[in-house]
Amino acid sequence: MSDLLNSLLDDARLWRGHRQLATEPTPEHTGFATLDKELGGLGWPRGALSECLLDGPGIGELQLVLPLLQRMTKRQQCVFWVNPPFTPYAPALARADVDLGQVVLVRTENQPDLLWTLENCLRSQATGLVLAWPDSLAARDIRRLQLAAEAGQSICILFRSRQEACQSSPAALRLELVPDDRLGLKVNILKRRGGWPGQGCRLAMAARVQQDVTEASTVIHGPWPDHQSG
Amino acid sequence: MPWLYLHFQHLLLDHIARAREASAPLAVLCQGSRRVLQACPRAMARGVQPGTALKTALNLAPELVMVHADDNRQARILEQQAHWLYRYMDRITLYPPDGLLADAGSVRRLYGGLQPLREALQKALGERQLHATLTTGTTPLAARLLARAGADCFTEGTEEMATNLATLPLAATELEQRTLQRLTRLGLTTLGELQQLPAAELARRLAPETLVHIQRILGQRPEPQTSWQPPHEFRQRADFGLPVEKAQGLLFALQRILADLESDLQWRQQDTDSLLLILHHYRQEPSHLQVRTTGPEHRAEAFLNLLRIRLEQHPLQAPVETLELRVTRFLHRHTATSTDLLGETRDTGEAWHTLVSRLQARLGEQALKHLAPAADHRPERAWSACSLARQQREPMPEHLPLRPLWLLSQPATLQVAPEEWLSGPERISGGWWDGERVLRDYYIARLPAGQLAWIYRHNQQGWFVHGWFG
Repeated sequence: MSDLLNSLLDDARLWRGHRQLATEPTPEHTGFATLDKELGGLGWPRGALSECLLDGPGIGELQLVLPLLQRMTKRQQCVFWVNPPFTPYAPALARADVDLGQVVLVRTENQPDLLWTLENCLRSQATGLVLAWPDSLAARDIRRLQLAAEAGQSICILFRSRQEACQSSPAALRLELVPDDRLGLKVNILKRRGGWPGQGCRLAMAARVQQDVTEASTVIHGPWPDHQSG
Repeated sequence: MPWLYLHFQHLLLDHIARAREASAPLAVLCQGSRRVLQACPRAMARGVQPGTALKTALNLAPELVMVHADDNRQARILEQQAHWLYRYMDRITLYPPDGLLADAGSVRRLYGGLQPLREALQKALGERQLHATLTTGTTPLAARLLARAGADCFTEGTEEMATNLATLPLAATELEQRTLQRLTRLGLTTLGELQQLPAAELARRLAPETLVHIQRILGQRPEPQTSWQPPHEFRQRADFGLPVEKAQGLLFALQRILADLESDLQWRQQDTDSLLLILHHYRQEPSHLQVRTTGPEHRAEAFLNLLRIRLEQHPLQAPVETLELRVTRFLHRHTATSTDLLGETRDTGEAWHTLVSRLQARLGEQALKHLAPAADHRPERAWSACSLARQQREPMPEHLPLRPLWLLSQPATLQVAPEEWLSGPERISGGWWDGERVLRDYYIARLPAGQLAWIYRHNQQGWFVHGWFG
């Protein structure tokens, strides 16, 4: 290696992209290979906030976090759903192999309670993942949550309106979710650590409405073998 | 068998002084006569003496905090002392309002003599800022009279005890006033002098009750004692001389009570999961605050954190005169199970209980729920939300049909025509057995905005969205 390159490498001011990868603890993959590749193998950032910005429900936003949910609950780490817009449907979660014993649904009545709850959940060692649907958050509040997430080394995913995309946010990962006309989900990365924004990918989300092939296995089919008695 | 007697000179005063953070002079007033009965050292320094008239006392120390003497209250406080003294001594008998008797003979071997026992007791009393006279005697009554006379008679040997008793003035023997006068006229001043008189002569000259009393002092007549049994609950009160107006003022007293609770639980080797805090107000119904933890807990710090959150959420309705903490539910204590020797894998169970208890204390118990599938074909009844406290899990149904991840609590009318129909119909019909009849055909359809909806057709009312495939 040339001297020039060596001296450059010794300089602490030089930021090297791949070093970040090495220092991160085992990443929490999203479970979608294309998205993982776009995120540079970092997955959902631990000890930081992530934001999903979307227009309306039913576009596959939960499908996106489902692999993470499954893994977290398998590891007996608690998953908090704070103020979800609808009821998380227990039979569907159970069908998707999520351990419901680790899922806690929290409803708060006002904004101070919500922030207090999120902060406490994030700071706790018991928490693995916090999914939250806040109405509105000031940048100051997000920074506070960011610090709480850092303290607890947990993952926090905030689901917010797409209108917030133009506002800056201290969150470590910001994803814009847009449905396409083939049941897929376009994920635009607005911000991520250790990389440039602007990438995006398309995830196939059709699996969520496909019936199990094995579903009918409990139905007994003919033709019946002839029973020859005697 | 030597008896040990603890005489608390000013129990009420000590008790109130402990509950208060600020150190204002304190005095206990006699109920009827408006005179000072007991005064704390701070008040004494200002010139307030026992027997001082109320007006004089107020002139000497205008900021004097006054409490009326109340024997019932003092008896309750005395029982609180018996609670912790029970760790040191066996066979305690309460002598309300201000004394405690214990059989020192049964624990003498344990401590290796009476002197080490005395040191241990003095230390414990000092920690609790209590003042008491400790005396020993050959009989319960002798020990009691010596203590009440304020004599410094803590001795090991039986002979020394007898000598001490002999020097006890007759005025301190709690004899009737008339008998006392007669004996004084005879020239008798101490118990020792009385003892030397022939018993037959005494019996002839004194009333039978007087004789019984003297025989009891000297141990010539048995005096059976009923020993006190610690109750199966924890109950402590803190009385504030002046009503406390802010919740912050309660925390100081709470901290001490919770520390007592922690050591009490430690001694019992038990945990608890619910505390009842009762705040007594002046001429108002007391307010009750129930605090629950999700798991067994014994640490004072954890309880204090929960109570602090509760008190922040519920401001005091009125100034608090007395605070009472009750624990009636006790659970077995389990040691934390750690999976490896070096403790590298953290036990998150405890962290989970702490977190959930905190959330419940602030948001209310109904704010946190577990979800579970339920055995019903009707989608709105195929799930249930249960409180976190319930531990038993129902077995998962073996076969679960395809369902959306979001369910609307109230089906919404379908506003736009779906763009694409993906599956259906799935007919759900049921509920004829409980009157909530459901007859619907469910479809999965994509709406123009790209959302996947779970919609159904009601046979009369039209189309509804019941869920989203999120």
